[in-house]
Amino acid sequence: MKIINKLVIAIAVTVGVSVTSCQRLDIPPTNIVTPDIIYSSEAGVKSFLATIYQNLPIEDFKFRPDAGGGIRTGSNDWENFYNEASCIGEEVGPFGGMDIAGGFGYWPYGDIRNVNTLIAELPKHVSTLSQPTVDALLGEAHFLRAYYYFAMAKRYGGIPIITTPQDPAAPLSQLQVHRDKEQATWDFIATELDLGYKMMPETSDAGRANKYVAAALKSRAMLYAACVAKYGSVNFVDGQARSLGLVGIPADQASKYFQAAYDAAKLLDGKYSLYNANSDKVQNYVDLFLKSGSPENIFIKQYSIANHTAHSWDATMSPRYFTANALSRSYPTYDFVSLWGDLQVTNADGTPKRFDNRAQLQQGLEPRLLATVYFPGATLRGLTFDMQRGIYPSFSGTAAAEVAKQPNSRSYILAGDTKTLYNGKQVIGFTGPWTGGDELTRTGFYVRKYVDYNKPQAAVDLNRSEQPWIDLRYGEILLNRAEAAMELGNTGDALTSVNLIRTRAGATPYASIDLDKVRKERRMELAFENQYYWDLKRWRTADVVLDRAHFKGLMPYYVFNENKYIFMVEPELFNREYTFQKQFYYEGIPGDQIGKNPNLLPNNPNY
Amino acid sequence: MKKLINIILAGVAIMAISACTKIDNYDGPNASFQGNIISSEGGNLLTSGGSVTIKLQQIGWTTPQTIPSKFDGTFEDSKLFQSNYKVIPTGGAFWPIYDTVVVKIGKDTRHDFTVTPYIVIKNFKTALNGTTLTLTFNIVAPIAAGLPTIKDIQPYVNTTKLVGAGASIRDFSDVNAITINKEYTDMSDADKAITLTIPNLIKGRTFFVRAGVRLSDSYNSSNFSEIIQVDVPK
Repeated sequence: MKIINKLVIAIAVTVGVSVTSCQRLDIPPTNIVTPDIIYSSEAGVKSFLATIYQNLPIEDFKFRPDAGGGIRTGSNDWENFYNEASCIGEEVGPFGGMDIAGGFGYWPYGDIRNVNTLIAELPKHVSTLSQPTVDALLGEAHFLRAYYYFAMAKRYGGIPIITTPQDPAAPLSQLQVHRDKEQATWDFIATELDLGYKMMPETSDAGRANKYVAAALKSRAMLYAACVAKYGSVNFVDGQARSLGLVGIPADQASKYFQAAYDAAKLLDGKYSLYNANSDKVQNYVDLFLKSGSPENIFIKQYSIANHTAHSWDATMSPRYFTANALSRSYPTYDFVSLWGDLQVTNADGTPKRFDNRAQLQQGLEPRLLATVYFPGATLRGLTFDMQRGIYPSFSGTAAAEVAKQPNSRSYILAGDTKTLYNGKQVIGFTGPWTGGDELTRTGFYVRKYVDYNKPQAAVDLNRSEQPWIDLRYGEILLNRAEAAMELGNTGDALTSVNLIRTRAGATPYASIDLDKVRKERRMELAFENQYYWDLKRWRTADVVLDRAHFKGLMPYYVFNENKYIFMVEPELFNREYTFQKQFYYEGIPGDQIGKNPNLLPNNPNY
Repeated sequence: MKKLINIILAGVAIMAISACTKIDNYDGPNASFQGNIISSEGGNLLTSGGSVTIKLQQIGWTTPQTIPSKFDGTFEDSKLFQSNYKVIPTGGAFWPIYDTVVVKIGKDTRHDFTVTPYIVIKNFKTALNGTTLTLTFNIVAPIAAGLPTIKDIQPYVNTTKLVGAGASIRDFSDVNAITINKEYTDMSDADKAITLTIPNLIKGRTFFVRAGVRLSDSYNSSNFSEIIQVDVPK
């Protein structure tokens, strides 16, 4: 009887509550921000913009280019060594081969929808926001939309151009849009950036775009399009997508895009300049990536420990020896270092040069190289990079003959850990190289660019680095301009731009210029900045450069009976092989998207 | 109270059981597809790992699947769904085929493809002198005009019968490659008579050896010779 009573009461209460509640359900939702709140003030729009900026596909410290990653915006994304550089011979590291070539299925139409909504809504709120504010914000929105489309165009070629927010209730035939041609996609990006340039003001808060940011991005994007036209029409994979123009641009369009890249870069003339605050050329180049307020910074991305967005560059680019925690895993190659010319480690007769100490190796090297890579003998936070692969009790003969020997017939002494001694002398350095784990160098070098040398060792930990990523800097714009000028036959302009870069770098200016020199300068100046992978792709040289490619390191040894150091160029100790298939010049349209929208077919050639 | 719980439990049990009474009415992947990739110059097209694949596109489905070929130029997949498929061989060193064939794949479906190889390796001979192995052969193109540039020619050496690209000992194989980078039509008869040398093989060991000619087509693909066993005496 008791139970039934309780049931009756329970049912009565439930019915009572649910009947009365229905009368008040038709109120505005309190947990989502509605348009009238966002667009009632500039601050409201700013908060909406923050999301769009946050997801912007900036290939920064945290960007992980393979299927395990992508654009990383939150905290605890600490594996900063999974970078593009370690797949293309600038560095070697965690990837087993061309693991990044398939991309990570990037398809940011959700973010593009946010921008489209912004562009559709802003003109309705002129009365509350004022016309100049609306124009400036619209310009910013066009820039942001171009940024998203650029990130897709360089991966997939032609993609659907969607400029208005789609209505989810629309018929499927309207929602399943077709791909646009590759050329139309690049033209759209150019138009959007022109609008951005026209409508945005000259200056902006750090981390936000202004008109020159749009121009700078345009020079980068148009250079890509121009190279697709010029080099993609020579080296390509045939297929239906190509014959339909979904990938590829006719070769005769190339000069138009080179001209657009050149013109866009020229707009920044006199507005920005190379960082030159310190007369010590090495320190100056180091500080360029660390000092705030540099006149070279055009567009930066900021990080904050408090907001849980900090990165881990310092903790993952240097070995544990210099940090409070974490490990390093990707290391610059000798192939990269020798862009500046072979290091003088061998005598004319082929025998290894004897050095009194490791630091001697750095004598006479270009300041920019020393500021980009930590050499054996360099110092950080009061400690020395003591790279030493092993000890030779004595050494005779040539370096070439020694390196050609099978490892078991070489007379060196190696060790499994840093504690092992040979006659009281440490066998391997605290900083490697060794093969027992990934956390010490396998090439004899470490990355220096962007490493914050002022950070005390105890503070160098995961998600504790806040130095901004410089996404667009004037150095790149000068190189974009030089390359476009060179392709257009304007050698004088190319030489001037490259020599500005070289002078700041502490290198000897060139007396004459050619395309190879421009490209090489770009590799040296923009190393580890996630540029060279895309350069290889747009130049269509990746399948030649990365054809069963193996890379080299520089191994330091101590010669015991002479009390000297020698250095030998040897295969890097991961001994990885990298092969870039021609189909990788484009990524395949992600399979899950084709599943939702078969109109995205045909897929790119060979996918 | 206990009774009520029992009733609820019983209800849940009945629902749980009845929910599972309908079984999947689709057949499992019980169809199979096999066959040969025949060279127009006779025999099967000799392939290697990461070389020829048969691409299948199930009609009414968007994502294609592939069957890799075996080294002897055969292929087989015994876990396919019965359906009509558009099929095409792709990825190897043969003149590209653009027209797909529609095959109704059911139980034990067989289909052979005929392709024209870029290059055929003829008169393949090996000679062992001490621990140095010499391979000699001629390369012939069934169709010379428009042939992709010949990149390089190299031996492949392995300790198992699975030998080819991606399955070879680098120090005996890639290291002994010779670079060509020439058009076939620009090569003299002497250029087409190839000698590859593999020094310092290990005494008392058995090796499996073949040669490959790599071309700069869309896949940087290679034509291969047959596989020969070489016993290096002690």
